Amino acid sequence: MSTTSQKHRDFVGEPMGDKPVTALSGIGEILGKKLEQQGFDKASVVLGQFLLLRKDSEMFTEWLKDASGANSRQAGSCAQCLREWCDAFL
Amino acid sequence: MSSLSSKSAQEISALLDEYGIKHGPVVDSTRSLYEKKLKEAMSKGKKAKQSPDKTYYREEEEEVTYVYRTPVRSDGAGDRQSYSSYSRPKPEYRGRDYAEEPYMYDTPSTYSRNSTLKSTPMKSGQDTATAPQSSRLIPLWVQFVFFLAVAVFLYIVFSSMETNESLKGLE
Repeated sequence: MSTTSQKHRDFVGEPMGDKPVTALSGIGEILGKKLEQQGFDKASVVLGQFLLLRKDSEMFTEWLKDASGANSRQAGSCAQCLREWCDAFL
Repeated sequence: MSSLSSKSAQEISALLDEYGIKHGPVVDSTRSLYEKKLKEAMSKGKKAKQSPDKTYYREEEEEVTYVYRTPVRSDGAGDRQSYSSYSRPKPEYRGRDYAEEPYMYDTPSTYSRNSTLKSTPMKSGQDTATAPQSSRLIPLWVQFVFFLAVAVFLYIVFSSMETNESLKGLE
């Protein structure tokens, strides 16, 4: 039984289009700013990174933690969000 | 061991494969992550590279090269001398380890040992020397002592049963 947030369900329910990086589950304002500083200003760019890492959740969470300072929960949430989005739309 | 950041993307990719790390393309955004992964893998002395056959051969080769190196020692660099003298106790230690540890442990220990030859000899050698010991939760001698204690206890019980003549009466 997954305990996904409303944010997660909103993201996974439709194509991400041009949504900002803060639309990703687990990514709030502070983490979003850090990611934008590194050029990851849209959710699709973060998706690009997720795909580059071959959709490996472990790798992606490690990268996200290093890149944005996210903790395990936030990074895991984001990874799960992207994984489910890929399952639905990719 | 040259620094990872000076290696080409293909070399990084090849190293990741050698350490059995699943990975995607090595590009700008993924490179630093993969370098970090490689550093972790190398410092842990994870199983890398060669097959067991080559490693076994390498073990013998190393003993030979030690003898070979001693005459060279005088004109060689200081760190080479320390390297050859440092590697000497290792084959003996490892040799005993192979005899004692079960077959299953053979391959990981050979891999970890071999990786020390390629990577930095000093630090990682110490890590692999302690690594096989930490693979046992209970030290080997404790297991032997416990086994002997159980055997002695059973013997005492058995011998005491033999002297009990009253059992014959039950037949």
